[in-house]
Amino acid sequence: MDQQHQLAGSVVFDAGYLGMIVNPIIQRELIGMVRTRKAMVLQVLLVLMFAALVIFRWPNDPTVDLAGNKSQQVFRLFGYGLLTAIILLVPVFPATSIVREKIKGTLELLFNSPMSSWRIYRGKLAGVMVFVLLLLVLSFPAGAACYAMGGISLVNDVFLLYAMLALVALQYTTIGFLISSYSNSIDAAIRATYGMVLILTVVTLGPHLLLQGHQSILTPVADWLRCASPLTPVMEILGHGDVASQGLIDTGGTPLKYFIVALCSIVGLSLWTVSRLNLKIFDRARSAGKITDELSHEQQRTRSLIWIVDPQRRKAGISRLTNPVMVKEFRCRRFGRAHWLFRILCLNLVISFVLAYVVMRKSEAWGPETLAGYLVLWQIAWILLLTPSLTAGLISSERESGGWQLLMMTPLSTWRIVFGKIMSVVVTVLMVVIATLPAYLFMMYVERTMIPQIRNVLICLSFTGLFAMTSTFAFSSLFRRTTTATTVSYGLLIAVCIGTLAIWLGREGPFGEAVVETVLKVNPLAAALSAIKAPGFQNYDLLMANWIILGSASFVAVVVLVIQTLRLTRPQ
Amino acid sequence: MAGLSDRESVVVVDGLTKKYGEFTAVDDVSLTLERGRILGFIGPNGAGKTTTIKILVGLAKPTSGSASIAGADCVRDARRIKRLVGYMPDIFGSYENMRVREYLDFFGAAFGIARTERMRRIAEVMETTNSTYMQDRYVETLSHGMKQRVGIARTLLHDPDVLVFDEPANGLDPEARIEMRELLLHLAELGKTLIVTSHILPELSRICDQVAIIHNGKLMAFGTLDQILSELEQNRMMEVQLTSSDAVDQAVTILRESLEEGTEINTSLAESTVRFRTALDDQELSQLLAKLVRSDVPLAQFRELQTDLEDAFMTVTRQADS
Repeated sequence: MDQQHQLAGSVVFDAGYLGMIVNPIIQRELIGMVRTRKAMVLQVLLVLMFAALVIFRWPNDPTVDLAGNKSQQVFRLFGYGLLTAIILLVPVFPATSIVREKIKGTLELLFNSPMSSWRIYRGKLAGVMVFVLLLLVLSFPAGAACYAMGGISLVNDVFLLYAMLALVALQYTTIGFLISSYSNSIDAAIRATYGMVLILTVVTLGPHLLLQGHQSILTPVADWLRCASPLTPVMEILGHGDVASQGLIDTGGTPLKYFIVALCSIVGLSLWTVSRLNLKIFDRARSAGKITDELSHEQQRTRSLIWIVDPQRRKAGISRLTNPVMVKEFRCRRFGRAHWLFRILCLNLVISFVLAYVVMRKSEAWGPETLAGYLVLWQIAWILLLTPSLTAGLISSERESGGWQLLMMTPLSTWRIVFGKIMSVVVTVLMVVIATLPAYLFMMYVERTMIPQIRNVLICLSFTGLFAMTSTFAFSSLFRRTTTATTVSYGLLIAVCIGTLAIWLGREGPFGEAVVETVLKVNPLAAALSAIKAPGFQNYDLLMANWIILGSASFVAVVVLVIQTLRLTRPQ
Repeated sequence: MAGLSDRESVVVVDGLTKKYGEFTAVDDVSLTLERGRILGFIGPNGAGKTTTIKILVGLAKPTSGSASIAGADCVRDARRIKRLVGYMPDIFGSYENMRVREYLDFFGAAFGIARTERMRRIAEVMETTNSTYMQDRYVETLSHGMKQRVGIARTLLHDPDVLVFDEPANGLDPEARIEMRELLLHLAELGKTLIVTSHILPELSRICDQVAIIHNGKLMAFGTLDQILSELEQNRMMEVQLTSSDAVDQAVTILRESLEEGTEINTSLAESTVRFRTALDDQELSQLLAKLVRSDVPLAQFRELQTDLEDAFMTVTRQADS
């Protein structure tokens, strides 16, 4: 006993000033991130990308460009590339940070240490931010090269861009942490975080787009709302003006507005997350298994009126004619239950009718092509958001949970399992996309000449859905972990659909129209926009090439899926 | 199970070997099991239990040898095996947002059981496993013990003849463990043939008709518990209890003189005991006792210790290691 006291007494606590500033979580988070193979690949790819940009665009013309047009073109591309990298790469780290510790049980250990919630949060935040700053530092040589080409201000352009990007990273990191603190699985946290990022970056621009120039009490709200998107200030810094500005309506001053919005959200979200970092985070109410069938007839009738499809009704057995795997997939999805599908369908129908109304009212001012362009954007956003979240875990989550082994023990054939799984995605995506179609009917009514264009758009949407489904299903069969399958799936689809648009932004320089057209051939979003003759895409001929590319890629994905599924279903 | 009498072997494993590259996971294992019997399949972690089971249920292919269940070859008749065997792996296989009834409904439908019959079977298996009260709960909210019950209900849905349970008592509290034991005995009474792996050996020894001990992929012992113990009891475990720990050294000296060379003698000063394993018969042991008494060793007790499954397992694995 005496010896134990002596041992305890010999422990020296790092409680002084040094202990306060050296946060062990920063070291652990940072080292944990930096020493992964993913981080290494990420850093090398970024350096190569920026180096390539400078090498290819370094002026070899003996004449001096005094106006600095070329360097500005390169700088814009560089800025958008950096912004895309931040939006795509940063959220994944905070999104997984808290939920992973929660699942592994290390968060409980942290709460049992003398560290306060605020110190834990600060450590995590600093760990992610140091890594992000490291990525930004890797781009310094390329940024310096842009500056060296002339025509760019060090303070007003380069420094302001980096400051804005650091702020974007900080804002998205705090969003990721908050969502992570509410999530119960890593892939759900990733999905929710990227969904929120997409809403903040793109959807917030919508109201401003519709309301600008109008005298309404909602106009200033919409004006501030679009400043929640980092696209707005970055475009202004890079000299592209305001997002969706219509000539003289452009108001400017968005970097300051974004700074205010971002700062408020960072403070608010941080306080919210810190308030969640205590042992209550593990409290999860267990369902008592209440069921409507056990209620009185009156209560049952009231519930059926409210719900239409009552989620707490005892389900009838699976019919003999239905694929049991498909029904299982619907039942075990949080948003796959009928009442949720109804809600999503109704939401889409409402938005579709709103757009139809806008078409009727504004067709002369905007032109149906512009509105159809937004409709296409909305539909493809649905496909891109929904498909990977439904498909990426189809096989990987079964393997993770041990369900795959149980499926193998049933007499279900491999074909029936795969068919049931894919049908559960096809039915959902189809229902959601079909609910968006009424707006096209109005468009065809207003402008009959658009019928062939709309037909082509629908073919583009079909190919987009096919490509998204087959590729993410293939990833689901290739990766053992749903998190990896989900991240890779979103990464691929965002790179194809949004990443290639960065090249499109540089269509007036440094890239020529020919290069842009070649790159856009892989992009189903660009193909659909070119089909509808949306502004900025009218001159490209992308359709046939895009359909062939997506069709071939889908075929390859199906082959990979078949081979991998057969391998997984074969006895070891 | 038409054509098989109670005495006929339901499970037949012959010279089963499974290699992963250079590593041999299962090495020439042979065993048989009659209908309605419970086989306790024991071995340390990585011994080859799960691999053997996976071959039996058609999830793995043997490198050589064969395994059959009710005449169906585990490799060639994999489809038939799925109907004959109910397998509960050590991982539950949970689906989120699914109630217990829906979970069982899905597996029933996967086995192609018609809807009306399926509803009847679900009610029946929940009754058997005493899990009716949790039918409307979400699967992921169940406790470990509840999940084990639902897991067993799932394996019973298609009314298989042979049930294979991988670590069913793992992580259960004592009360749930007793309930599990009773459930397994009940299933055997219903005529099911059971193969059960477990690390909790006292539990297994209470329910198993036969025991197979596997170590490093090799079958070290197989038979009824009595058969295995009697084989091991060629070397009996003896304990000398002394009245004082001061006499331990004296007792050890005398025992060394009388026992076979190389006999391992264990002492405990705290308990004032000396233990040894010996092949001496009763007469030789009485002479040894007399010698201890003559030498004025302060004896309190001189007795043979009963060997249980745990001892048998430890002896067999130690022999294999040495």
